[in-house]
Parts: sequence; structure tokens; C-alpha cells
Amino acid sequence: MLWVDKYRPKTLDKVTVHDQVAQNLKKLVAEQDCPHLLFYGPSGSGKKTLIMALIKQMFGAGAEKVKMENKTWKIDTGSRTIEIELAMLSSTHHVEMNPSDAGFQDRYVVQEVIKEMAKNRPIDAKGKRAFKVLVLNEVDKLSREAQHSLRRTMEKYSASCRLILCCNSSSKVTEAVRSRCLNVRVNAPSEDQIVQVLEFIGKKENLNLPFGFAARIAAQSNRNLRRAILFFETCKVQQYPFTSNQVAPPLDWEQYVAEIAADIMKEQSPKRLYAVRQKLYELLVNCIPPESILKKLLAELLKKLDSDLKHEICHWAAHYEHKMRLGSKAIFHIEAFVAKFMSIYKEFLVSTFG
Amino acid sequence: MEADMDMPDPEELEWMESHGLLPEEEEEYAYLDEPDEEGFLAAGGGADQSRVSRQETTPAPTKPADEVSEGNLKRPPSPPPPEQEEERSKRRNVDREDPGDEDWLRYSPPPVVDIVAEKTISRFASEIRGECIPVTGPNGERVYAKVATGGLDGGGIGGTRQRTHISKPNFDYKESFHSLTSRAEQEALAKALQESTETQNFDSCPVTPLVTEQLWVEKYSPNSFTELLSDEHTNREVLLWLKQWDSCVFGSHIRATSNDVLSALRRHSSAIQKNSSNRNFFSKSKGSQDNMLQNAHGSSSEDMTSSFNKRSLADNAPEQKVLLLCGPPGLGKTTLAHVAAKHCGYHVVEINASDDRSASSIEPKILDVIQMNSIMSDSKPKCLVIDEIDGALGDGKGAVEVILKMINAEKNNSSNSSASTEDTQGRKSSKKGHKIPKLMRPVICICNDLYAPALRQLRQVAKVHMFVQPTISRVVNRLKYICKTEGFKTSPIALSALAEYTECDIRSCLNTLQFLNKKREALNISGFDSQVIGRKDMSKSILDVWKQVLQKKKLKRIEKADGNFSRGKDIDSLFSLISNRGDYDVTMDGIHENFLKLSYHDPMLQKTVKCLDILGVSDSLMQYVYRTQQMSLHVYQPPVAITISQLVAQVEKPNIEWPKALQRCRTMLLEKKDKLKTWQNQMSPLISRHLSVESFVEDISSPFLHIISPSSLRPVALNLLSEREKDELVQLVDTMVSYSITYRNTKLEPQERISGSMVSPDVPSLSLDPPITDIINFKGYQSEHTGLSLAMKQVLVHEVEKQKIIKDSAGKSLNQANEGGNRNDVSTSEKTSALVSTKGISKSNPTTFKMQSSASSSMSGKDPVPAKKHSNHGMNFFDRFRKERPADAKTRSDAGQQAATILRDSRPLIFKYNEGFTNAVKRPVKIRDLLL
Repeated sequence: MLWVDKYRPKTLDKVTVHDQVAQNLKKLVAEQDCPHLLFYGPSGSGKKTLIMALIKQMFGAGAEKVKMENKTWKIDTGSRTIEIELAMLSSTHHVEMNPSDAGFQDRYVVQEVIKEMAKNRPIDAKGKRAFKVLVLNEVDKLSREAQHSLRRTMEKYSASCRLILCCNSSSKVTEAVRSRCLNVRVNAPSEDQIVQVLEFIGKKENLNLPFGFAARIAAQSNRNLRRAILFFETCKVQQYPFTSNQVAPPLDWEQYVAEIAADIMKEQSPKRLYAVRQKLYELLVNCIPPESILKKLLAELLKKLDSDLKHEICHWAAHYEHKMRLGSKAIFHIEAFVAKFMSIYKEFLVSTFG
Repeated sequence: MEADMDMPDPEELEWMESHGLLPEEEEEYAYLDEPDEEGFLAAGGGADQSRVSRQETTPAPTKPADEVSEGNLKRPPSPPPPEQEEERSKRRNVDREDPGDEDWLRYSPPPVVDIVAEKTISRFASEIRGECIPVTGPNGERVYAKVATGGLDGGGIGGTRQRTHISKPNFDYKESFHSLTSRAEQEALAKALQESTETQNFDSCPVTPLVTEQLWVEKYSPNSFTELLSDEHTNREVLLWLKQWDSCVFGSHIRATSNDVLSALRRHSSAIQKNSSNRNFFSKSKGSQDNMLQNAHGSSSEDMTSSFNKRSLADNAPEQKVLLLCGPPGLGKTTLAHVAAKHCGYHVVEINASDDRSASSIEPKILDVIQMNSIMSDSKPKCLVIDEIDGALGDGKGAVEVILKMINAEKNNSSNSSASTEDTQGRKSSKKGHKIPKLMRPVICICNDLYAPALRQLRQVAKVHMFVQPTISRVVNRLKYICKTEGFKTSPIALSALAEYTECDIRSCLNTLQFLNKKREALNISGFDSQVIGRKDMSKSILDVWKQVLQKKKLKRIEKADGNFSRGKDIDSLFSLISNRGDYDVTMDGIHENFLKLSYHDPMLQKTVKCLDILGVSDSLMQYVYRTQQMSLHVYQPPVAITISQLVAQVEKPNIEWPKALQRCRTMLLEKKDKLKTWQNQMSPLISRHLSVESFVEDISSPFLHIISPSSLRPVALNLLSEREKDELVQLVDTMVSYSITYRNTKLEPQERISGSMVSPDVPSLSLDPPITDIINFKGYQSEHTGLSLAMKQVLVHEVEKQKIIKDSAGKSLNQANEGGNRNDVSTSEKTSALVSTKGISKSNPTTFKMQSSASSSMSGKDPVPAKKHSNHGMNFFDRFRKERPADAKTRSDAGQQAATILRDSRPLIFKYNEGFTNAVKRPVKIRDLLL
């Protein structure tokens, strides 16, 4: 097992990074009931870990016995029947799923599948909890229609069912849904916290950490705990007695983006833009989210940029990311950003160096 | 009637070919001025038989010409047996006379073939200066003849004419004599007819112009195959296809010869063909009368053999049962279908958009056409022409469905039933048994848009012919001829401009001309826009759209003067072009894909930025429309393309590619996501619940690959590893198992071979099973990941496999223990396994081994490790796999396992252990037992 999984806190008591949040949650479920919850925060901050620990707190060890199943749902929409296959992870007390997997049919998932499950009261109501928990991941990727369908479900079946929603950005969740939940913000762990975690793992693994090593990894991880621990393990695997200046190997896709940035800085022409486009396609094909590409690209470009231009470039990056979210062909917008950058940069070069 | 129909074969095709090769000449001659008649006749005063007939015919106004025409026209299509022929000709005569003068008006003269070879006829094209055309003799020999550009040499016509005609007898190939004769006869006939029509025109036009006038389109529609304006190749192919039905439709046809001829036609020339064609030639040279007799005789003699062959012949319908003609309107698709079908002796039944075409109503109709053999002996078989098949989507599909059903039924039948080999009669009776009848008659479908969704399935089974525009000169020639006969004065330039404007739509041209004629207006080039010519609302292919967008039109000098005006016109035409096409999504993709390849001047990339910005706008708009379903907003899409066009369009021809990249990106993205998802589902839920595809790709993949290929692991026997290394290995295996990845045999890849360089090439290499490496495999990017050595991978595969089995059986035996309640048994077997074979233990995973060893040490009080090492010393590294593999395989199967456990449980094992001896009880032991 990777250390990420091995040292994942299983109970709320053991949570180290967001201990305050964990304590609050514990108090929350100590009472008989709890509201709907919405966890949001950047990836690698520990949302799911918290949710798992919370469920365990609620239902005890029984919640840890989970099984994975692919269920096919037949939904009658009047004119035709739609078949949706969804992977679900369920224990006797709760069900986890990712409704946005259904793509544009997510509305039906919410309307039918979730409703179906929410309706059924858990049979062994003699236990202390008279409700089951539905964990919905990636709520922010749900379509607007699906979110609208969700809000009624939340109210109607609140007697027998609690929803725990999990997403990266709460702004993509509609107001209506947000106001029906207790929002729990899980922020990215600070570098100090990451260092603490790394040191904790090091101690458990009987490793000898040289001074500053953990801090370096934490800095490299971009405040992403998962990444930090993975980096840590990578370092360990590659060379155990850690050297004083050892760093983890960079992520491949980030490396590739850096190459693209270098390409852009080298030459600004339609021809180069065409070459860049091919590389961007490569990234997109390999499931890298376009937002991440744009962000990383901006970061790489900013590194090499004259400070006068930074402000403007940031502005345009934001502009094109906004447009990208409005549209559906990400490549158009990333490319437009690259072209814009090239244009500005070239103008700058010409005006300063003639 | 069958005898009648099977005639038109070999000679006819040859005839057709020799004619068909010279279409340009035909028309040129047809509209050429007549004045050279005298010279022509004088020149033709040689030994040629044609001259005689000509001299006979030309003076005689109508009646003799009629007779000659009967003989002439009849011959090529089908020389029937004499009696029938007579009957027929009578019939025809009656037909002719019935409509009287009116019919004469409609009758357009058959084309006259004239080899305008100036003076050179050569076997080699290179010897001829200027344009030349190939002429193939009946025996397959081929010569090239120079083409005299008849239309241009105005005054000198008489001279050149003469020369050409003198040169004709010089033509060495006497074989062509027959065809020449017939041609000459036709020429004569044409002359006569033309004269008569002209005179009648001049007479009748002023008198009753309004009442009797027909549409020119109809009036001058081609009546015979050689008159067709459409592309010669297409014509020929259609005819060939129809001919292939002969054996099926006309049963008694002599297949062998026709095959020969067909192949000869395809090859154009062959020595093999010589013999048979020579024979043909002899028969031909005896004159038409003899020819008929011979043919009749031939068919009757052939009857015997054909009746033998009938069974197989009946199935000889062409492979593709349906012909699909497609092309823009007005090029003569319908005409071709009709003419060709008539030519081959079919009765044409047309179903077009004006008919009710729902499946239920159309099916009996089609069935009528397709299966019925008419009772009356002289009626022709039918040929179904479905016009405008792409037209209506909902109901029109009925026809397509019915035909498809029949074709499919045929396929099924021919594949399994013996009934299909019965002759036609037998089949008819068997047809009632089968629900779906077979397609027994040719079906020609006509459409404008080949890629209409309704035709998708038909396209796959049908023989498809695209119609291409005829050359403008060809159309103009025809138009000139018609104008001349109608007495409408035009200039060739105006006509060619008209043809160009209408994109060679002959129908539109003729309608325009007729209209103008009525109005007594002249056709002037400048006023096309204001004039009556209807502009077709045609959607172009998407490639054309891209080309139009990305290619700037060359400004002519006149247009340059009023640049603004022409620009506005450009925009208008672009707008209509794009909005007619409609498919904005693909349109934009194509523009995006291709515009960067243009070489527009853009030093500061401002144009590029603008283009991409506006493409972004288009994308957002598209998304918005998609979400809100406000389709009316789509009108704003064409301006996007127009803007880009204005910014970057260049004069030179763009090299346009189909936008594959975006599509490919989408599909591959889905594919990869799917792969990752399935992998995620394979993992143990405790781990997979914390993963998502994004987080895996973004955060985990790279470090993960580093982690599962630790450089510190040495590919040596396990027992040689130090404690720490063993720990690492255990952890690695554990990780791999919990993430459910393993190495798997793959085809040898170059990289892999390098990494396992010492391995002989026949040993397959191993790569990660869910191919995670693909995720970080960017084009042109060199990752730092180093795979493990092959030996190490093999060890890992083995260990992972074992670990999985242990996990499985652990779960299982736990269940069993709970059920049976005899935990003791399990523990005893554990102990035995620890003791029975030391070999087995060293093979097992170190973790389990530790546990076992502790157990055994606690029992025997002896440290087992050195002993094990001892016993294991001599063993080959690879030997172990060999032994263990089959066992693995066995234990993997659940059923076997279950049985084994039951067996074991039924016979608890008791034995005595003597240190230093091996007289322990011997018994077959499953590996699984040892692993526990």
C-alpha cells in the first residue's frame, strides 16, 4: 500500500491536518442527527478522508466494510428508456457515487437513482441512526439541471437520508443547494502542516529525515498533501539515505507544460503556435484537465516574464479561462491565450529591443 | 420476348464503345453549319457504302429517311429476329405517325459520329500533335486520332472536312467499316431530320408559338445513349452494370461471350479477344440482315446450352443489386437512368418524390416491379428507378428500407438455402414460402446528397456513382446546337457564362434560354444577377466551404475598381454558403484546424489572436445554443467564419485537411478515461474511493510510476536479498496488489528490449497491465522513468500473482473455517506446510514466510532460515517459475480449489516427523496449502 493510503487517518480523532474541522464534525454527529453537508476545497486537501472518518464516526466499523459494484439503472423518461451504468461503493449504511460520470444524463441519475435510494429507509432502524448517508462526489461537475433536481430531493427525503456532497469549488454549486447544506471548507494544508505530516510518516517508517528535507518536499507539492506524501515516498524509493539536497522528480505533465512554455518564449509565430497546439492536444488527450494546463502554463510563463507584463498576462489568462468554462472546446481557448501571450510578448520585445 | 432481349450484347457494346469514345465530335458536328454538304458528298464519293445511302437519303425529305432510320436505329440496341423486328417496326411506324408533326418536333436528331482525324492516325499518341483521342477497333487494336477543333476553324470548314473524309478510306482498319457505315447512315438521317425540323420550326414558330411549344428541356432531352451529356465514364459504368443483369433478367442469355466482351471493354485491347471479334466482324460485314439471322441462329443454337446453364445463370445478378447515382441537380442523372435502362431493353418504372413513399404503400409497388414477369410475351422487363431517394426523411425512407430488406434477404438466402439455386420458376414458387422476396430486377436510385442520413445503409450495399459536372465546353456545344435549332441568337461567350453561372446545370440553362427566347430578349452576360436565372439553393460539401473561407478570390481587374462592391458580394456569397451548409460545429473545427497553416502576414500575431478570439466566441455561442436550445442564435455563426476569412484568407490554394485532431482528442480522451475508470473499479474499494481520474492523472501517476519501479531492487533470487530489500519487495508487491496492477506479456517493443537487453528476442517483454505509462507518454517528451529489468518484472509478476491468490484463498478459507468451525484443521495444515517442504516456503512471500517461520520456530525451536537457504542453494532462478506456474493456474480456478479444500478437509493429515530423515508421509500437496 502506498503511504498515502497507509497513513490516512481512519477516525476523526486521528486527523492531524484539519483537526479543528474534525473536532467540529465530531461534535456535530455526537448528537443524533446531522444536516446535509457540503465539503469543498482544493484537491489533495483531505476532503474524502474527512468524509470517511466522519462516516465511521457515525456508523462505527460497519461502515468500513464496503463493496464496489457497477449497477445499471433503467430509467424511463417517457419517450424512451435510458440505461445508465454507475459504479457505486456501498456499505450497509452508506452509498458513495459519482453522478457526474453519467455525463449529460446526470439529471436522470439525480432524479431517479438518488431519489430511489433516498426513498428507501434503512431497514434496521433499530440502530442509533435512522438514516442512510449518500456521498456524492464531484458535485460541481453536475449540470445545472441536475443540481436543480437535487435540491428538491434534499428536502423531501431528509427524514431518511443525509447527503454529503463533495466538490472542489463551491462556486459551481448552485446557491440553492449550498444553502441546504452545512458548508465545510477544507482548505489546502499549509506547508507547515505538510511538514508535520511528513515527519510523522518518517517516524513511523523509521526514516531519517535530514533537516529541511520535508520543507522542500512540502514546497514542491504546491500545498497538496497527497502530492507531498507521494513525493516523499518517491524520494524514499529512489534513494534512501536522503541526501541533503534531494528533490522529488517533477510530475511529467508539468514538465511537459514547462517545455511548451519554453517553446512559446523562444519563438512567436503562427507556425510555432501550430506546434504548440499539437502539444496541447497531447496533454488534453491524456486526461489533464484544461484548467490545470492553463494554470500551470501561466505559472511557467510568469517565471520567465518581465515583471511589467505579469499583470497583463494574468489578466488574459483569467479572461480565457472564463471563456473556456463557457465553451466546450478547451483547445480553442488555451490556444487563444497562447496566441495572446505571443502577441503581447512579441510587442514587448520589439518595443524594448527594437 | 426473351430471345429479343438477349440479343443486344457483344456487338452492341462494341458499337457503344466506338461511339462513346467520340462524344465531343458528335456534338461539334451536330451543331456545325451545314453548308459543307456538297463538299461532303463530293468527298464521300468514294467506294464507301455510306455515301450511297447518303445520296439516297439526303434528297428525300422524310419518308425514306424514316425507313433508313428504322433500320439504323434498330440495329445498335437489339437486332431482333426478323419477324418480330417487322412487327415492331410496324408498331413504331404507327407510333411515329400518330402524333404527327408534333412528334417530329420532339425528335432530336441522333448524334452523328465523325472521326475528324485531320491527317494523322497513329498507334502512338506521341506522334500526334495537339489533342488526340483513342479509337479502339473491334479486334482490340487501338489507334490515336487527332482531334480537329471543329468549332474554331469557321471558314476553313469545307477544306478540313474534305480532307478528313478523304482520310477516312485511308483508315487501314477495315474492321471499323461496319460501324463507319452505320455512322454514315446515321449522319445522313440526322441531316434529313434536322432539315425537316428546321423547316418545320421556321414554319410553325411564328404561327402558333404559344400553344404547342414544349419545354426545351423535354424537347431536347437525349433519346439515345450516345446523346447523353453526362460524363462518358459514368454512362459506361451504368450501362455495364445494367448489362450485368442480363443473365438474371433475360435468362437465356449467352453469358460466355458477354463476359468476354466486358473484359475486353475493360482492357480496351487484348490479343485474346482477337479471335472472337474477328468472327464478329465477319458476321457484321455481311450486313445487318445477315447479322440478324446469324444472331437468331446463334441464340437458337445456344438455347440448348443455356438451358443447361440456366440454374447458375439465374443467380448471376451483379454483386451490388442497387445502383446509386448521385450528384448535383440538373446534370442529367434521371435522364441517364432512363436512357440506359431503355437502351438495355427495360421498361422503366419510376418512383419519385411525388409518389407516396411510405413503406407500406411502396412495398407492393416495388414488389410488382421487381418480381413480376409479365404474362404478355412482348412486354419488357421492368427496371425500377427511384428518383430523389434522399428527399424525404420520414416517409421516403420506406423505399430504402424495402430495398435493403430484399438485399439482405438475398444474402441470407444465398448463404444457407439450396432453394436459391433453383431456376426462376422454382424460385417463384419458393418465394411464397419465404416472406421476403429477392431482388430480381435492376434498381437505380437517384439522389442529390450521397451522405444524406437516409442513405447511410444503402450506401454500403449499392454501387455508387458520383456525377461530375460535364465540361463547360460540352454543355455549351449542346446549348449552341439547341439555340441554333430554335433560332435563338446567342454568342458562345454568353452561353459559356451562363453554363458557368448555373454550374453546368443543363436544365437551368435551357429554361433560362427558353424564357429569354419567349421574351425575345438576348442573353447578355453582365446581367445574370438581375436576370431571371434561378440561383440554386445548394449546399456545398464542407470541404468546399472551408476552401471558400480560407481562399481569397482572385480579384479581376474590373472588380478591383469597385473593390467595396465586390467585397460585399463576397461576404454575401460566403454567408449563404456557410449558412446553407449549416454544420457550424464541424465548420469551425475545420477552420481552426487549417487556418494556422495559411501563410498570412502577421508579424505581431494580432490577426491570429483575433481569429482565435472569435473562434472562442463561436464556441461559447455554440455551447449556449446547445444548452438553451435557442437555435435561432446560429445565424451569428457565419459572420465568425467570414471575419476569419477576411483576416487570413490568401489567394493561393489552401491545403485543407479534415479536422481530425479535435475529434481524435475527444475520442482518445474518453477512451483513456474509460480505461482509468475500469482500473479504478478493479482496485480495492478502500483505495479507489479516494481516487478520481483527475487526481490520478494530475498528482499520482508520475510519483506512482517511480514508486513501483524502485532502482534499489536487485534482480536476484529472493533468498539473496537482505532483510531491508525483502521488506521493500513486500511493500512493493503489496502496493501493486492493492492498486491491482501487474506486468503482462506484450509484444516486443524496442524500448522494452533495450531495458531487457540480455534477453533473447523470443522472450516476450513485460509491461504494466493497466498501461499507466501511456498517461505520461507525451509525444516528443522524454520521461525520466526507468522501468525495472525484465528479471525483476518476472519476479514481481510472480509475487503479485501469489499475493492475489493468498488474499483470495484467505478470504475463502476464512469463510470455510467459519462454516465448518474446524479452525484446527487449517492451522495444522499451516504447520505441515511449514514443515513438509522447505522449498515451498522459500518460494512464498516473505511476509507469510515470516509468519510461518515464527510459527515453526516456536514449534520446533529451531531457526529455519539457514536450513532453507541450504536446501535452496542449487536451484536455478527460473526453475521455480516453471514448477510453480501450473500449480498457480490450477489453484486459481475456484472450482478446483473448492474441491481440493473439501478433499483435504475430508482426510485430515497425520504424520510423524523425524529430524534428519525424510520418511515423512508422502502425499500430493497443493501449492495453496503451502502458501497458507
